[in-house]
Amino acid sequence: MGFFSTLSSIFGVGKKSCNIVVVGLDNAGKSTILNALRSEDTRVSQVVPTVGMTVTTFSGTGVNFSAFDMSGQGKYRNLWDAYYAKAEGIMFVVDSTDRLRLSVARDELWMILDHKDCKKVPLLILSNKSDRPDSLPVGEVSNLLGLDLMRNRPWTIQQTSAINGNGLPHSLEWLSKNIKEYMNGESS
Amino acid sequence: ALLFLHPIIVNLNMDSKADMKREKKDEESGGNPYAKLDVTAVLQECRAFNETPINARKCSIILTKLFHLVQQGDNIGRTEATEAFFGVTKLWQSKDATLRRLVYLAVKVLSTISDDVIIVTSSLTKDMTGKEDAYRAPAIRALCLITDAAMLQTIERYMKQAIVDRNPAVSSAALVSSIHLMKKAGDVVRRWANEVQEAASAEGHMVQLHALALLYQIRSNDRLAVNKLVQKFAKGGMRSPFALCYLIRIAKQLIEEDDQADSAFFQFIDSCLRHKSEMVVYEAASAIVSLPNTSPSELAPAISVLQLFCSSPKPALRFAAVRTLNKVSVKHPQAVTSCNVDLEKLITDSNRSIATLAITTLLKTGAESSVERLMKQISSFVSEISDEFKIVVVEAIRALIARYPRKHTVMLPFLANMLRNDGGFEYKREIVDTLIAIVEENPDARLAGLAQLCEFIEDCEHPALATKVLHLLGREAPKTANPHAYIRFVYNRVILETTQVRAAAVSALAKIGAQCPQLRPSIEGLLKNCLLDSEDEVRDRATFYLSVLDMAPAIVNSLVLDTLQSSPAALERAAAEYVENEEAHSNKFDLKSVPVCSAPVAKKAKTLLAEEVAPAKEKKTAANATAAAAERLSQIEGLTAGLGPLFKSTLPIPLTDNVNEYTVQCSKHIFANHVILEFEVKNTLNDQLLEQVNVSLEDAEGEWKALRQRPIARLPYGEPSSIFVLLPFPQSGAVQGVLGATLNFKVKDVDPSTGEPESDDTYDDSYVLEEVELCVSDSVQPLGKASFGPAWNALEEEDTVEETFSLANVSSIHEAIKKVCGLLGLAPCERSDIVPEGRNRHVVMMSGVFRGGHEVLAKANVAIDPNDNSIGLNLLIRCSESIIAEILATAIV
Ligand SMILES: Nc1nc2c(ncn2[C@@H]2O[C@H](COP(=O)(O)OP(=O)(O)OP(=O)(O)O)[C@@H](O)[C@H]2O)c(=O)[nH]1
Ligand SMILES: [Mg+2]
Repeated sequence: MGFFSTLSSIFGVGKKSCNIVVVGLDNAGKSTILNALRSEDTRVSQVVPTVGMTVTTFSGTGVNFSAFDMSGQGKYRNLWDAYYAKAEGIMFVVDSTDRLRLSVARDELWMILDHKDCKKVPLLILSNKSDRPDSLPVGEVSNLLGLDLMRNRPWTIQQTSAINGNGLPHSLEWLSKNIKEYMNGESS
Repeated sequence: ALLFLHPIIVNLNMDSKADMKREKKDEESGGNPYAKLDVTAVLQECRAFNETPINARKCSIILTKLFHLVQQGDNIGRTEATEAFFGVTKLWQSKDATLRRLVYLAVKVLSTISDDVIIVTSSLTKDMTGKEDAYRAPAIRALCLITDAAMLQTIERYMKQAIVDRNPAVSSAALVSSIHLMKKAGDVVRRWANEVQEAASAEGHMVQLHALALLYQIRSNDRLAVNKLVQKFAKGGMRSPFALCYLIRIAKQLIEEDDQADSAFFQFIDSCLRHKSEMVVYEAASAIVSLPNTSPSELAPAISVLQLFCSSPKPALRFAAVRTLNKVSVKHPQAVTSCNVDLEKLITDSNRSIATLAITTLLKTGAESSVERLMKQISSFVSEISDEFKIVVVEAIRALIARYPRKHTVMLPFLANMLRNDGGFEYKREIVDTLIAIVEENPDARLAGLAQLCEFIEDCEHPALATKVLHLLGREAPKTANPHAYIRFVYNRVILETTQVRAAAVSALAKIGAQCPQLRPSIEGLLKNCLLDSEDEVRDRATFYLSVLDMAPAIVNSLVLDTLQSSPAALERAAAEYVENEEAHSNKFDLKSVPVCSAPVAKKAKTLLAEEVAPAKEKKTAANATAAAAERLSQIEGLTAGLGPLFKSTLPIPLTDNVNEYTVQCSKHIFANHVILEFEVKNTLNDQLLEQVNVSLEDAEGEWKALRQRPIARLPYGEPSSIFVLLPFPQSGAVQGVLGATLNFKVKDVDPSTGEPESDDTYDDSYVLEEVELCVSDSVQPLGKASFGPAWNALEEEDTVEETFSLANVSSIHEAIKKVCGLLGLAPCERSDIVPEGRNRHVVMMSGVFRGGHEVLAKANVAIDPNDNSIGLNLLIRCSESIIAEILATAIV
């Protein structure tokens, strides 16, 4: 595998492999989104709250993703740190209906970005559960998370629904493109 | 967990030819490829886990190295282990099957030394329920290891599914993991009983075994439920030979533990003798022959199965059969003798282990006339067999000498030869112990045996054995005609050996000096030389003995020849109590107040013969019962206040049948002036809660009256608890008594599944127990004396109580001696309980300590009348308190 993947990267054929870390508060819908991103035959029928973390693989355009799906529960959040160093991208999922905890989400997000192991990798923020009537508009979520202060890294916020799939293809495309650019920048 | 590692290490090495070559080369140079691993370097390598993409082969090798280090006991710090562990979590993204399976192992290996292992819970849950069959079983094992009782609730559903999974590997993994989980979260696992039951009737042979084992674990606290389990499966339904073997073991245990066990259990085991699987047949035969109280007709079919196996072409069967026959040869000599012809054929078996076992079995059961021939046969290859089997040979010799004392002329040179050859500590110890037993038990062999041992310590690499022999010399040399001859051997040790051996030699010299006045001047000269020794211990002993040896005989006797009467632990506890209790300081510390216990040497003084008959289960002795009870009683608030130290605790005696609704057993804890009776009560009805459980005692003689009682407030199902009743020893001085006992309590009906009472209603009930007996021996601690004669003479001025009895219901001198020792509660001294063959008169010397620390000595002269086989006993008892001597004499009726 090692030999083959080197070859393919030299000639620019085949797919790149990359790691992303998927974080956000518990119940935000991280595992449900990742499940939706997988090919149909590998999906699981039921998503349960994550204990610790799991690894999920899926492919985007030209990139194979290994996603570290972290648990968002308070007692496990300190474990996120261990996975930043290896990540070539960050997916941050917020529950757009959970108005009460958006400030907690904001604090967690900025704590990640300030962490010493966290490099200037692409950041994809998903304002999830947009199918629900009580979902906040994406602009408001963006404001509440303080994204206007974000500098020095490619980032975007995208409105999604893991239930009906809205916004997911577009998000995946953005992530694939930006990670490829980031990785090429790294290697040159 | 580490059991699994080895095959994988091998597999990995076989992966590439280059590795194979390297390994071959390593093998040639005798090297282990993992021998020179360095912890820090391997932990450095673990960084590779964080690389992208993952190099599966490289990571597999690194993990294997890591396992090797952990298995070797190398110390890995928590931080480093945690770092490695987080690296391992990243390997989940690799699709390489070998690597993934190593990842599961890594989780298990690191689970105790790393933090936050719980983080892989979801990953493991996903794999255990995933589509990849090869991952499911190892994921279950790893998950169950890292999970705790709380987390277990969340994966409970998956565990239940896994237990009944169609894939046998998955089902077995879930079952075996559940067995481990019983310790952490027994009540959760118990809820899976239905699934386990279903698995027990599954197809897979291993699954059946594991399901049965778990069912047994789930019910093991509940005798009735275990009974039912065996009854159910004994009727059929178990196809797996493994499960059947397990069932046989449970059935055997039930029979062993219960005299009135269901006869269906034995019939079941017996029926397995006709099973088509050899494994089951063997298991059944081996169970039957090791059962207690089997009749010859019950035994016969099992023995003939073993006999048949003896001539099987399969070495494993021959080995199993002969090993089992060997084990029971002393218990069932008759039955084993019937296999002699088959055993004879095996003595030249090309498999040395089989041959050794066959020969030693024949030695143990065969006729005296064949001993020489067999010994010659075994001498021809004894140097080729492993220590383990050499020990079997030594054990056989020991048993043989007990039976044919005259054969020592053949055995001693053989043992001496074995002693000279190479062998490990265990092996040498076994020989030394055997020689010591011969010297002690067989006066005719004493000189020859001592000579061998003296030669042995001249060049002995095990200080523990040298001190043992020196101790023996101090005791036995004075009994020989020429004690002088041994001084040289002992003194050589003082010059040549390590500290502990030198110290032991000094003590041995002093003991010889104490018993042989004519040698004392020269021994004192030698001891003076020891005053210049480089070590405190040796100098101190020499100084002490030099100043004591010239004192009065009674003092010499108690300070040089007697050993400490109490265990060091008891002495320490008593001294600590004394120091803490300021009020006690007006009196001197009294050694008599320390609970006595017999020295460990005296305990082991059983011949092999006796030991084999009573199989070495968990050895519960009164001595450790006392130590444990003292600890336990002192922790119960106010129970023993003012009673002084615990003198002795007896082993518990059942007052009910084992199968009753409530089981009660009673232990007696004896203090200087009081007895505490402890009634341990167990409620075996799961639909009852007992309250205010107490005991009423009744003494027809009116001597014994309870002073106070500590009842049990609540007694739920299955949790034993104790009632304590305090009785003072009667004013009259009586120590014996028979007390009627009744258990009284209130019953509340409860819901069996929750243990919650159904209502507040109670009703009174009572339950008649068997009588509690208090006897003379309760007040006496058996305590053997190494040198009886000097101690007996030291009490010369005291009145000797003398009584003569004619003993009924005993048929041999040996039996009479055992009975007398038991009734008096005294220990036989100087191996005088061994009756030389063919004698019709024998004197046994006994000693012990009476409550309050009074030493009691007794001589019993037992004679058998050859005409009518009646047995007469003349008993002499001496004690510094003559009243005690009289009390003791009342023990014999
Ligand atoms: N309506 C709606 N529900 C969603 C959506 N995404 C997730 N959910 C639901 O939200 C709940 C939580 O989803 P998870 O994927 O387990 O959330 P998580 O972020 O992985 O949570 P943790 O693993 O505990 O950190 C589930 O009941 C999902 O069905 C969405 O887009 N719309
Ligand atoms: Mg999740």
